[in-house]
Amino acid sequence: MTFKFFFIKEMKKYPLFFLILSFTLLLGTMGLVGISIVSSQVQTKLKNNAQELLTSDIAVSARRELSAEEITSLNSIFQKYPQESYKIVDIYSMVTHLRAKASRLVEIRSTENKFPFYGGIRAKDGVVFDNRGLFISKDLADLWQVKLSDDLQIGSHVMRVAGIVEEDSSMGLRGFSLAPRIYMPLEKLMTSGLVKAGSTGSFAHHFKLKDLSPQKIADIKKDIYAGIADPAVKITLPEDSSEQTGRVINTITNFMALSALIGLILSLVGVFYLYQSHLLARLKDLCLLNLHGLHKSQILLGMIAQFTFVFVVVMALELILIIPLYKTLAPTLSNNLGIELSGEVNVLAALTEIPFLYGLSLFILVPLLFGLMRTSMGLQLKASKLSMGRFRFWDFIPFILSLWLFSCYLSHSLGIGNLFFGSLLIVFFISTLMVRGGQFVLRKIIGNRGLLLPSIENGIALRSLTRSGHKLTLSFLSLAMGATLISLILQLDKMIIKEFALDPKKPSLFIFDIQEEQMEPLAKLAEDNATPLAYITPMIRARLEKVNDKKFVKKKRSFDFRSREEDEDARFRNNSLNLTYRGYMTDSEKIIKGDPFPSGGAADTRLPYISIEKRWSERMDISIGDKLTFDIQGVEFEGQVHNIKEVKWTTFYPNFFVTIEPSLIDAAPKTFLAVLPSSKKENKLSLQRNAVEKFPNISFIDVGELVGKLSGLFEKSRQAIEVISWLSLAVGLVILYGLSHDQVYRRYYDLALMKSLGFSAGRLRLNLLYEFGALFLSAMGLGLFLGWGIAQLIGKEVFKLSPSVDWERILYPALLLTILCLATILISSWRAVRAKPRELLSDS
Amino acid sequence: MMKPTVVVSNLRKSYGQGESKVEVLKGINLNIEKGERLALIGKSGSGKSTLLSLLAGLDSPDSGDILVQDQNISTMSERDLTNFRAQHMGIVFQQFHLVSTLTALENVLLPLELLKRPNAMTTAKNLLESVGLGHRSHHVPAQLSGGESQRVAIARAIAINPAILFADEPSGNLDEETGDKVMDLLFKMVQDTGTTLVLVTHDPDLAKKCSRVVHLEHGSLL
Repeated sequence: MTFKFFFIKEMKKYPLFFLILSFTLLLGTMGLVGISIVSSQVQTKLKNNAQELLTSDIAVSARRELSAEEITSLNSIFQKYPQESYKIVDIYSMVTHLRAKASRLVEIRSTENKFPFYGGIRAKDGVVFDNRGLFISKDLADLWQVKLSDDLQIGSHVMRVAGIVEEDSSMGLRGFSLAPRIYMPLEKLMTSGLVKAGSTGSFAHHFKLKDLSPQKIADIKKDIYAGIADPAVKITLPEDSSEQTGRVINTITNFMALSALIGLILSLVGVFYLYQSHLLARLKDLCLLNLHGLHKSQILLGMIAQFTFVFVVVMALELILIIPLYKTLAPTLSNNLGIELSGEVNVLAALTEIPFLYGLSLFILVPLLFGLMRTSMGLQLKASKLSMGRFRFWDFIPFILSLWLFSCYLSHSLGIGNLFFGSLLIVFFISTLMVRGGQFVLRKIIGNRGLLLPSIENGIALRSLTRSGHKLTLSFLSLAMGATLISLILQLDKMIIKEFALDPKKPSLFIFDIQEEQMEPLAKLAEDNATPLAYITPMIRARLEKVNDKKFVKKKRSFDFRSREEDEDARFRNNSLNLTYRGYMTDSEKIIKGDPFPSGGAADTRLPYISIEKRWSERMDISIGDKLTFDIQGVEFEGQVHNIKEVKWTTFYPNFFVTIEPSLIDAAPKTFLAVLPSSKKENKLSLQRNAVEKFPNISFIDVGELVGKLSGLFEKSRQAIEVISWLSLAVGLVILYGLSHDQVYRRYYDLALMKSLGFSAGRLRLNLLYEFGALFLSAMGLGLFLGWGIAQLIGKEVFKLSPSVDWERILYPALLLTILCLATILISSWRAVRAKPRELLSDS
Repeated sequence: MMKPTVVVSNLRKSYGQGESKVEVLKGINLNIEKGERLALIGKSGSGKSTLLSLLAGLDSPDSGDILVQDQNISTMSERDLTNFRAQHMGIVFQQFHLVSTLTALENVLLPLELLKRPNAMTTAKNLLESVGLGHRSHHVPAQLSGGESQRVAIARAIAINPAILFADEPSGNLDEETGDKVMDLLFKMVQDTGTTLVLVTHDPDLAKKCSRVVHLEHGSLL
């Protein structure tokens, strides 16, 4: 009977309700399920990318050749498994271009046959990469204008260039290294005289393990650590080869998921409203069921089962729709995200978010279901007007908690999840406060006056606004929250544009390893080349040895699931670092705690002051007043933390975690780095050619290319987020229509009555416009303002931006929302204005 | 001899189309004198509420004329009809139908302020006092009992001194005792003000309290 009632009778009786409920759920969840599919594809691709970056399944490396004992230990472990291996030696050395008679520092990657196991190297003009020939990177070829027949002097060998490498998957999206890379056979390098006893470089043994699970490979890593005592030997798995691109794309997909969560929340507000109206409509039937012996708990279970059935149908439909849609869009997405995504959908991955979605959707109904449980069903049958038991604030707690957990889960960050969730809570409290405060003020204004305030339409609208209780609060809240989220997305969108736009002032070239005596002639050379240098900064290689005279200990790395913060923490807590000294803050630095360095440098009577970056200070657990001891090439240097600064890293200017006050540090062994502001490609190349000729030890990094790549990536991501934000807006408007329609529907008889008393259709419409217009516009106004405020907060915390007002992004959405709101009211009030007073009579 | 307040001639009304068309009123002729208390009785579906809706200008007939105070309301535009109703008619419904967001006083005030009558507030307060609800004037409908709601509805209907008051089963939603009290109040108020009353009811005892009883059956007057 229960089954028949909930699954057959009810669905047949209320087909429109179930259709609209399903559509609302479909709209709200589609974004998240879609992003879940894209995210799983991105993860798969990143995993493959990680293998391509490492080029193998596992690598054992050191800054020296492995000893005979270490090789024996390795062999004893790997001989148990079917495997292939090769060796890669990476060193830095000067190389001479014989035709151009130019020398410069390059990174030499020497490899054996079978390199690379994963990924590939693509050479220019259809030349096939071959481990037996000499290949050079494109940037070096451009710099020296190398042709394929040219010879290079590498140590004692002269080798002919066999090809120019355009793309190397092991470089990822880094797009640069400290020096241009060349590729040559390992046996040639070993006989070139460049590798001698004591030579430093990276000596890595790479293995490809056939048919072994990731867990087994992780076990092998532990076995190797157990067999090799020297901590300088590093064992790397693909997932250890962290890559900026991966982190960036992960961050973007996480933010996209949060944007989609906004759409889901809006649709859940709609689900709440729909369900509330529906429960009221069917309350009499439920009371009758109860009267005939169906317990309240059975009614509750029946309703949960019914909702679950609807949810499952919606999800099935969603997958049927979304999978072909994804397959169609995969090429465009690949292009937008900058990584090639497979067109095949992992259905299991697509299902990952569904339990969370189900939980959230069900929890939003808990207050209504509890309200139903609190209804005195027997009394309802006697009452002239049906009314459901009221829901209480704590009924929302399961939904609130699950929303918080879901926010953290989607952002993979407790910090960002909390920020997102906290913002929602702020909007909730401010909106509630505004409604209640507004109602209080309006009540005072109305007092005991008549209905003419100044017109009767206004008077009735004002009274309705002050006396609608929790329904009005809920409507206001939903609208304000929707407007906040829309405004927030538009503002964040602006910030992303601003943050990652290709700024002509950004540097195009980083110049490294400039010796002190080379600084002046290099600067002159740059000026003569019409490309003056900027931000000339000393750079000192150091290690943090002690904090407050206690040895600094690195945190042990966890191998389990890590949040974004833990991942960053692991990267940060390295005691080797580059630091600089200067007595001032640059444009991209801002002191947030403590004082600036006093002018004139450090006094002899105290320790030199140190300025440290905020996140570095948090992760290293260092605060103002702490004494830090650095090891600079064997010499200890002590200083005291004087201030903590924020650094805007995305400026791409030379920034450091640690800046020391000018003092004895000036005498420490150092090199300089400088920046070439954005300039023409020919000028950039000519400066490099001329500088390399005179100062062969200097290295260049073409940041312009990196900035371009990153800007492109963010531009595409911004577009993706924009699409999601408009989808959210669409969901918001559907909900808005539903809300106003619901309100008008609820008050249908009030409106019919007013008509019977002599209100014309025009006056009724005016009355509705005043009431809903005031409600919508005040909610929208508050929402747009709050969205702007939260965006400013995020801008300050995440992007380090100063507060700004972009009227265009406030007024345009305000105008658009106003027009849409008024149109929505007029459309939804149509039925009410056409209300027939005849329906008020008993026979109707 | 005074002219009747309401003159109904050959009034017809049907609903639906084609085969499902139902003729609800089949050529009604009826005169209602000024100050008369007319009871319209009949079984469910006899057409009494339809007749009431046409007399009160809430619906329009298919054919026939309705003259209320010499004005043919069956040919009026919706706008004119709305204005006419506001000035000359009062209606009391079975379901009370008070505006849910207005207090008892404001509900009574509503038709007065709509017509911009002078001293509207005083009139509304006096009326509420006269129905015994002066102490409940600032309560909203949800805070009133069924009997109280209907008393407010009567005060509202009578507030403009209508030429004719229509009452559609006004005690139908109340218990017997409360219903009797409400009806006594209604009769007293129309008597005091000399208002013409058209009362729709299925209760013969209640109908007997009126000066004339008209039976409606299958859309025709008996």
